[in-house]
Amino acid sequence: MKALIENRFGLLTLVLVALGALYGVAFVSRPAPVQEKPAQKVRAAVESVSMVCPDPGGGRLNVVTPPVEQTGQGGQSAQGGGAATVAQMKGGKPLATLDRVGGLWRQDVPLRTRPVTVAGMGTMAAGLEAAQTTRVASGAQRGLSGVRCVEPGAEAWFIGPGPAAADVTLHVANADVAPADVAVMIYAGEGPVLSDRGNGMVIKPGEYREVKLRDLAPSPLVMAVQVTTDGGRVAAAIRASLGEGKGVDWLPVATPPSTRVVVPGLPGSAGQRELYVATPGERDTVVQVKAVLKDGSYALKNKETVEVPAGSTTTLDLTTGVGGQAGALVLTSDEPIVAGMRMTGTGSRQDAAFTAGAAPIDLGSVVADGGPGKKSAKGGGKQESRLVLSAPFGAATVRVRILPQDGAPAAPVEVRLPAARSKEIKLKAPAGAGSGFAVHIVPVPGSGPVYGGRVLSEETGEGVLLTAQPLAQARTWALVPATSEWPGVVLP
Amino acid sequence: MHSVTAIVVAHDGARWLQETLDAVLRQSRPLDRVAGVDNGSRDGSGRLLTAAFGPNSVLSMSRATGFGEAVHEVVRRLPRAQGQEWLWLLHDDCAPDAHALRALLRAADENPKAAILGPKLRDWLDRRVLLEIGVTVGRSGRRDTGLEPREYDQGQHDGAHGVLDVLSVSTAGMLIRRDVWEELAGLDPLLPMFRDDLDLCWRARVAGHRVLNVTDAVAWHAEAASRRRRRIAVSDDHPRRLDRRNGLLVVMANLPFLALVRSVFRNVAGSLARTVLFLLAKQPANALDELAALGSVIGRPGRLITARRARRKGRKQGYPAVARLLTPPGATWRRLTDMVQRYLAGEGPVDSAGRHHAAGAAAEEEGDELLTDSGLFQRMSSSPAVLLCLLLAGITVAAEWPLLTGGGLLGGGALVPVTGGASDLWRLYVEDHHSAGLGSDTWAPPYVAVLAALSTLFLGKTSLAVSVLLLGCVPLAGLSAYVATRRMISYTPARVWLGATYALLPVATGVVAGGRVGTALILVLIPVYAALATRVVAGSRRAAWGFGLLLAVGTAFAPLVYIVVAILGGLAAVSFGGVRRGVGVSLAIGLGTPLVLLAPWLAGIVREPRRILLESGLADPALADPRLSADAILMLNPGGPGTPPVWVTGGLVAVALGALLLRRHQTVVAVGWAVTLFGVLLAVVVGRLGEWPGVPLAFAATGLLVATALTAHRITEFRAAGGLRRAGALLIVLVAFATPAAAAGLWIAGGAGGPLRGDLTDPVPPLAAVWSPNGERTLLMRPEGGRLAYTILPGRAPLIGEADLRAPDANARRVGAAVAGLASGRGGDDVRTLAAEGVQFVTVPGPVDTELRRALDSEPALVRVNLSETGGLWRVAGTVTVPPTPAGGDAWHRTWLWAQGALVALILVLASPGARTAEQIEDYGDAPEPPRQSRRRSKNPGEQVAA
Repeated sequence: MKALIENRFGLLTLVLVALGALYGVAFVSRPAPVQEKPAQKVRAAVESVSMVCPDPGGGRLNVVTPPVEQTGQGGQSAQGGGAATVAQMKGGKPLATLDRVGGLWRQDVPLRTRPVTVAGMGTMAAGLEAAQTTRVASGAQRGLSGVRCVEPGAEAWFIGPGPAAADVTLHVANADVAPADVAVMIYAGEGPVLSDRGNGMVIKPGEYREVKLRDLAPSPLVMAVQVTTDGGRVAAAIRASLGEGKGVDWLPVATPPSTRVVVPGLPGSAGQRELYVATPGERDTVVQVKAVLKDGSYALKNKETVEVPAGSTTTLDLTTGVGGQAGALVLTSDEPIVAGMRMTGTGSRQDAAFTAGAAPIDLGSVVADGGPGKKSAKGGGKQESRLVLSAPFGAATVRVRILPQDGAPAAPVEVRLPAARSKEIKLKAPAGAGSGFAVHIVPVPGSGPVYGGRVLSEETGEGVLLTAQPLAQARTWALVPATSEWPGVVLP
Repeated sequence: MHSVTAIVVAHDGARWLQETLDAVLRQSRPLDRVAGVDNGSRDGSGRLLTAAFGPNSVLSMSRATGFGEAVHEVVRRLPRAQGQEWLWLLHDDCAPDAHALRALLRAADENPKAAILGPKLRDWLDRRVLLEIGVTVGRSGRRDTGLEPREYDQGQHDGAHGVLDVLSVSTAGMLIRRDVWEELAGLDPLLPMFRDDLDLCWRARVAGHRVLNVTDAVAWHAEAASRRRRRIAVSDDHPRRLDRRNGLLVVMANLPFLALVRSVFRNVAGSLARTVLFLLAKQPANALDELAALGSVIGRPGRLITARRARRKGRKQGYPAVARLLTPPGATWRRLTDMVQRYLAGEGPVDSAGRHHAAGAAAEEEGDELLTDSGLFQRMSSSPAVLLCLLLAGITVAAEWPLLTGGGLLGGGALVPVTGGASDLWRLYVEDHHSAGLGSDTWAPPYVAVLAALSTLFLGKTSLAVSVLLLGCVPLAGLSAYVATRRMISYTPARVWLGATYALLPVATGVVAGGRVGTALILVLIPVYAALATRVVAGSRRAAWGFGLLLAVGTAFAPLVYIVVAILGGLAAVSFGGVRRGVGVSLAIGLGTPLVLLAPWLAGIVREPRRILLESGLADPALADPRLSADAILMLNPGGPGTPPVWVTGGLVAVALGALLLRRHQTVVAVGWAVTLFGVLLAVVVGRLGEWPGVPLAFAATGLLVATALTAHRITEFRAAGGLRRAGALLIVLVAFATPAAAAGLWIAGGAGGPLRGDLTDPVPPLAAVWSPNGERTLLMRPEGGRLAYTILPGRAPLIGEADLRAPDANARRVGAAVAGLASGRGGDDVRTLAAEGVQFVTVPGPVDTELRRALDSEPALVRVNLSETGGLWRVAGTVTVPPTPAGGDAWHRTWLWAQGALVALILVLASPGARTAEQIEDYGDAPEPPRQSRRRSKNPGEQVAA
């Protein structure tokens, strides 16, 4: 020991040994890398839903809450009871109070009915869906037109023919308690329409208004419309009447601008197909167009791309490409785009239908107006209902369930969708469907994104009446994120 | 025709008496009669008197007789003489100039109304120093000579005709007309010492006589009693207390009634203020005397009433004549400013210019300093400390340029965006119920008080304080290391190297990048700890208090500091405890102070031991590297953002290992390495527990640096040796300086930022802030890796420290569920739940997640206010009222805060450099005295009289 202390290198040796020991301890105790597991969102039943049917007068109103899906995935379902009320706006009389989950409520409403609000609470809220379908057999408004009743929001996009080509009416309704300051922006074929007239429209709580878009921008032949609110929310819908013998329908709400848009629900019937693409951004863009059809997914010959100038809307005739084939279109571009499609029925007097870019139905979708039943309502012709489902990015399996007006919901039917394929399913009213049925579509867990649409058509002597509705995400489940209280969120 | 009788009163004044007697007898105007009184002297003063005046002219009186009494006794026995009869009162320590009496009498001739005349008094030892040319008094009873301390007499105060009209002259050398003496009943026996002269002259003034100071007449006075050159037998009290008491008594007895009332208030307030000042100056004896003097005047109103009754005649009428001679009122303020200046100059905070022992403190050092002043710039630019600091500051600015020029709020990492001011932090610290988050009753952590105090120093700007502390951490740490090692390491280049290396340690750059304000402060404090610790183990009590206070500050930011220091302190106690006396107590003070000062907070930490490892600020796990490699720890690299590659500190470790080979300093190096190994071991433990091991590694680096720098002077020997050794020395220097150079280079190249940014915006959108006048809350949400993180802000950005407050668990769970529901867009009454907690706004910083935006937009009870790339803001429809804070305070909290404040004040007083007390002026004496006499009055007052 003494020798060690007196040696010049003694202390150095001691320190090195100690350092080595520390290194060993630190080395051995070093933990293995941990894989961060992303926090899973928990599904929870939606507890409150409200929507506005913009103009149901003279048509049939369909309201349904699907039965709770037993997926085995857990999730919290709403407890206790619940009810959905269907009432006219501006103090109009309530039409119905519903509390039967899984049953379709369908009623023909008289002309000059005000916009109708549908509000569900508790068990009746999860998946509550409403739609209006109007059938006019003759006159300038001849045609089948339907629209999914819209949930109020702060922003809505539409794309379709412009005021120069059609009689375009914007319906805005404010079912909330706060006033809504609405602004309308129009992107025409020549670029954005700069006008103050679309701004500063204040809709008081409980108010609704119809705006002729011709007053805002008379000249566009095609247009994309962005309805935004600067405070408050509105339910916005647009009805386009193309003129005598050309058809009429509502423009469905399109997905907000994004670099990849799927336009689903192209029916397998013959007729014109016209694609609308708009880019609201400040740069021109080239949009790649790919069709997802029954037999595969491919770019259309000579119609591989469409150039869209900045801030404007362009059309592309795809009649020779996808006419007569059920499917969907996948559009990709560098700049965010909004897309939609006009479909025309055949015949001497045509009817038009519109579809638009839609989101995948990950949590399922409900179509309130699945089709007419045996005891079809008055004046109803022989309508046919078809479901067009597409799985453009991966194979999927969906369960389709018919929810009749009367009687118990039918057993679900599984439909397999190979990757990058579309399928068209004919929906048949089950026995005891009463005057109609609704459809509940749920992708099986593990499926790729599923897009789709429902097409209603009716053969008449003068031509086919047509209306379409892209499938929208059902408001059945909400994904509740895991939350943590963390003061550090004040930092970016 | 004058007849002058000199009366010399002696009391233990043999040291001066002979000279006094010689001077009296050698007057150029011979005295008509002389009389001596010996007040029971024990040093042979009586014999001297008898030898000079003859036995018939000397009275012997008891030891307890006062000056006035003695004179009375003489006058009573003195037969009447012819002509104008004068009494010349002389102390035994007051030697008049040979022409003094002649000058006095000439003045008396020229000013027939003059009844009392006094010579100019100069100092006994330094014969040119002016002591008095008449004395006046303030309304507060404060004696005022109107002179600067140690003012030389160059005739600058002399009167136009050799006389000055003054309020009073000292009894030392006072020439008074006998008839006036008898008319006024002479010196008041109530005042056996001090201020008896003032009282007499005041009464003379009131009676219409003139009191003159004759500046042509000079006497030298030793002020033996008041300077405690001799013991006072006439009273048991300390001369200082006596002086103060008599001062108060004289003023109160002589002032007319109205002025008296004012004076009472003024004196009570003034005395209390002076007591506080004395306490601050750690002169408790002075403070006690001050209070006791006041108490003995106020507490015995009978004596005061008697004295006032005796002076009733003409008091009010004569007052105007006196009033203009009193100290002007503005003098107090002037004195206060003087005092502050003198305190800053390092002297006692309470001046003594008006006291008898005024000519105390020497100030030669200051003069010397001025003489050698070679210009500020030259001094600065040649100081290594300044150069080191400038260099480090330059490196810092280069590395932190984007942070400094961010133009926004500083924040990131562990630091919330810095907003608010010192007052907000103080409020946060003292309030019982916090409005932050969901409201909390948790006591704010003590580091909030430290930051609040720092912000107060920076004129209330918290952001400035935090910026200086955090961004300036590198130069401050370098400066601190350089200055703190001043007494340890004499070799300046070694200190420069130590400062630079310490300042640029990986810990330091990591601290800046991680926004760790607490560790930044600790990094600056560690060298101070080391410097103070060397004095604590030497037994210094004052250093121990300072050490304890600073350790409490460091502990408040990172409790781990205390653990490290306590273990090292324990080891030091074992090694030094037996060596020096008082080390144990000093160490106990140093280590016990933080425990007491932070008691409730530490109790909370003991309940949750993991918090020991945490430091102040946001405990973001992303700031620490959970898989810190073993070699990084050994190279003192704590990992996490802002730390350089592992090899940067290689030079330091290599040099430190090399220092182990030097045999001459093996103990020092071994101690340093022991500290390092201990720090590294602790760093391994802390790192493996998933926390940032910056604090233990800073201690480890300190040990290494000090050990190395202490041996660094050997380099000069090597260099002088020449040859291979010289080359070796050069190599060592190169290797040693490689560490700071590489660290600086990499820091500048990589930038100091990291999580810390200088361009943050207020997390609460301005609209929400404006519309939250009553502290309506704002819910801030941000999706992070599949989770939704949120916090609730009280209508403003969070303050530093608010993140540590905790809301009641039940509330937190309920709100968490509501936030999750709101973010999912499921509808329901989540918004109502939030609104019930006072949430008025929901904000999501941009870019806003689409799903979240949709969910919030779909919520009917939320109204979107705006949405842009910078974020979205939603307002809860309708009015929201914040739940009221529970009424009533937390009595315990209040009590504790007061106690803590008092403790801090006390420790500050104990730790601050003490003032030079009046007692220390004793070495002014001419000759070495027996130590027994130079001490304070003894504990047993009876002994003084009897012995």
